[in-house]
Formats: sequence, C-alpha cells, structure tokens
Amino acid sequence: MAYSEKVVDHFNNPRNMGSFKKDEEGVGTGIVGAPECGDVMKLQIKVQNDTIVDAKFKTFGCGSAIASSSLATEWMKGKTLEEAAKIKNTDIVQELNLPPVKIHCSVLAEDAIKAALNDYKKKAESK
Amino acid sequence: MDQTQKTPTKRTELQMARSMCWHCQSEIHGEYFCVQCVKVQPVSKELDYFTCLGLPRLLNIDTDVLETKFYELSRVFHPDFFQNKTETEQAISLGNSALLNTAYRTLKDPIRRAEYLVQLEAGSAKDIRTSPPADLFEEILALQEDLQEFRSAAPGQDPGHMEDLRARLKTDREALERRQQDMESRLLELFTKWDSLQGRAEQDDQLRTEKTAVLTQMRALLSNRTYLRNIVNDLVETIG
Repeated sequence: MAYSEKVVDHFNNPRNMGSFKKDEEGVGTGIVGAPECGDVMKLQIKVQNDTIVDAKFKTFGCGSAIASSSLATEWMKGKTLEEAAKIKNTDIVQELNLPPVKIHCSVLAEDAIKAALNDYKKKAESK
Repeated sequence: MDQTQKTPTKRTELQMARSMCWHCQSEIHGEYFCVQCVKVQPVSKELDYFTCLGLPRLLNIDTDVLETKFYELSRVFHPDFFQNKTETEQAISLGNSALLNTAYRTLKDPIRRAEYLVQLEAGSAKDIRTSPPADLFEEILALQEDLQEFRSAAPGQDPGHMEDLRARLKTDREALERRQQDMESRLLELFTKWDSLQGRAEQDDQLRTEKTAVLTQMRALLSNRTYLRNIVNDLVETIG
C-alpha cells in the first residue's frame, strides 16, 4: 500500500511535534490509543480566551497516525474551542486520502482532539 | 437463514449460503455438493469460525481436533481439485477455502482466538469499550522519548550518558516483558473462566453479567497487551 503524498509530507515534516507541560496554564492534554494496532497519540492545546493559540502532538505509531495528528494540530491552531470540536475524522480521511485500513488512525486523532478539549474544560472548571 | 435443516448427514455440517443449487436450482439441504448435478456449493459468509471448524465457542480448544477438521474440509474444497471445473466452481472452491484458512489461522493462535471471540460475542468489538489505560500511555510516551534520544544520538556523544540510557532501557524492557507474561497468564485464567461459564446450563441474567465481565476484562488485557508488545518490539529493535 502506498501512502498519499500528503501523508508522506506530514510524516517527513511533522508540524507542531513536541509537548507542553501538562500543568501549564491553559494547556489541555489528550492521550489516546488504538487497541487494534497499539498506536499511542498525545495531543495538547494551549488556550487563551477560548481560542487555541498553539497545539502540539507526539504520536508513536504508523505514518498515517503521525500524519493525522500532525494535520489535527495544524487545523486546531487559531480555532475556537467550539470550532475545534467540530473537526471530524472524515475530514482528516479526505484531506490525507487515507485508505480504509487506516481510517482508525483518523478516528484516533479525532478522539485525541476531544480528549484534549475535555481536559482543558475540566481544568478550567475546577479553578 | 434456513432454520429447517434436515438431519445432518456426513457432509452437511456447515451452513451453506443458499438453499438452492446455483447451477441446477435443485433444493439443497446443506450438502456441500448438489445432490442432482454434483456442483460444489458456497458456504455461508455468516458462518462463524468456531462453527466452521466444528468447535464449541470455547477458548481452551483441542488443537488436534481443529487441525483434523481443517484438513478434512480442505480436502473437500481445495482449489486444486477444481482446476478442471468451470470458473464458477473454481471461484466457489476458492471462496470456501479462503474462509476455512482464515478460520483456521484465527483459531489456532490463542490471542487471535480470544480477540475473535470477544468480537463475536460482543456483536462488534467496539461495543465493549474499556477505559483507556492512561498510566500505560504515559509510560509508553516517556519510554518512547528515551528511545528517540537513544536513536538520534550522534556517535561518540557523551558515552557515559548513552551507556546509562541503554542500561535504563534494558531494565525497562525486562520489566515490560515480565508484565507481558503476567498479562498472558491472566488471559489464560480468563480463558478457563469463560469456558466454565459457557458450560453452565442455566441461561439467566447473572450468567450474562458474568460473561460480559469476562469479555470486558479480556478486551482490556488484549489491548493493553498490544500496546506493550509494540513498545517491547521497539525496545528490542533499538537496544537488542
């Protein structure tokens, strides 16, 4: 199976790789995994006034999982929390041209986005 | 599906796809070959692997029985025996053999057998959601960072530090391997528990609850095992 050009590009030049300190002000962290393949994905957002000003990821898995999370961070930056919550795995599939066997990678990215948003909200509320 | 199957004779153990011969339209009652025109018939795509290979839905299985049954059915449907037949017959033989092969491969391996059973019993594997092992994820991410550092180190870079790192990774690997083994023995305990639940005569709510509990635990173990296996493989690849 060949990866699409966009997947290869994200894989070779991942955007926003890295991490923030979990307890830093305004940071939301989502860590999710895909039991089918054992991939693990960490996605973090930095929020100011309900807008995602920065996003970072760390993914250990296949090229599609890395590309999906790289794309997700790219898309999230500049979006409000509400807008980011609307990112769907199908958008990622379309953008990256993922084949059916790799759809779960995009699902993982969507789960990671949701987990990061939830974590941020939980932290914000508990203050 | 046809619920009114006739008394099974020697060659009607499998559920077939149709109740009428695709070739001569004669009625068939689960025979592998049409009684009238002797053409091979397709087995049902709905056939589960356990039924296909004549096994009860248990996790501790007799692999001799599995093998015997597999060979027996392979001798019936193997594409080699259909080389001189029509294209349709070849296609049917190929389809039946493919199902048989997948069934055999899945059931032969205890982990794949368990994964398949969980999926089968839960309707879909996703119906049984287990909470993600957050601690394990954190651990894996931390380990992967060490691994990355180790991999990307330039030759000759602070040898003392690299030796420390290697030693630490090695200790981690050993600990993880022990955990993997521990998971596997816990999985085997669940196999036995599942089998004993399957053997119970009364079908009540309590039994269903207990079964679901076993399936959920099994699913959690199976997925944690996958995460662990990946990281252990990475470790072995990197530090040997």
